Amino acid sequence: MLTKGDKILIATVILLAFAIFTGFQIYGFTGGKTYAVIEINGKEYQKIALGEDGPKLQLKLPGAIGEVVLEIDRDRVRVVSSDCPDKDCIRQGWVSRPGQTLVCLPNRVVVKIENDKSTGDLDGVSF
Amino acid sequence: MAKSKKLVYLSLLVAGGVALHMVESMIPVPFPVPGAKLGLANIISLLAIVLYGTREGLQVNILRCLIGSLLGGSMSSLIYSLSGAVSSTLVMGIAVKYFENVFSLVGVSILGSITHNFAQVTVASVILSTFGLYSYLPFLMLVGLFTGVFTGLAANFVKDKLSVSLSLMETVDRRR
Repeated sequence: MLTKGDKILIATVILLAFAIFTGFQIYGFTGGKTYAVIEINGKEYQKIALGEDGPKLQLKLPGAIGEVVLEIDRDRVRVVSSDCPDKDCIRQGWVSRPGQTLVCLPNRVVVKIENDKSTGDLDGVSF
Repeated sequence: MAKSKKLVYLSLLVAGGVALHMVESMIPVPFPVPGAKLGLANIISLLAIVLYGTREGLQVNILRCLIGSLLGGSMSSLIYSLSGAVSSTLVMGIAVKYFENVFSLVGVSILGSITHNFAQVTVASVILSTFGLYSYLPFLMLVGLFTGVFTGLAANFVKDKLSVSLSLMETVDRRR
């Protein structure tokens, strides 16, 4: 029932699917640069470029009630220590994808991951 | 007479397409990929193309999408299904008309489902303005390959039966 053309078509589709898949695996999904935007008390404090060639450093931030220590590891960010009562910000762990945030409410510190190309702030889409 | 007869048959195809559309929305999707579906209504559009032609296939498919979305869907689902339906019908029509001896109905159906996937991903990435959605295309393509073979086989079986009964009706008409 399958003609020769059908078989060639099936093989082409499978190959094409794998080619696109590997292409996206190698070249990444969005392109564009990812930034960690640090806000203290609602004002932008610092903007740090992340990525494969991103910095490896610890940052001490002056929060509202004490010091917040941020660790930046190339393409991801976390809170190492904070002078707040509940330590929820530390428990949020590493964030790296655009749209993710780190929040220390008592210290009024917010770290947002942003990307200049993709909006990345969609939480869900229904169709 | 022949004109109204064709109208009736096309309407029957539309009705069948809407029924399949509704039945399909009640079947839980057997794939772990969101957005993938069986595409049962593609059987009907394939039949309309094979039995009548590309223009009639387009008519049947667009009407099917409009009525199906009115019965069980939303405005956004209409955009997705209409774009997929129009582009896949055009591609299948071209394949049936010009590459009839290259592809069987299975191949035509695979072409249609891949085009459908591609059009939907394109529309979705325009709406959401992220081209990262194309990374999702390979999975949809592989699922579309599978469902395309399935709907192509189904259309093939129905076509054989239907063209026999259609030609029977013609001869009955002529005898009268």
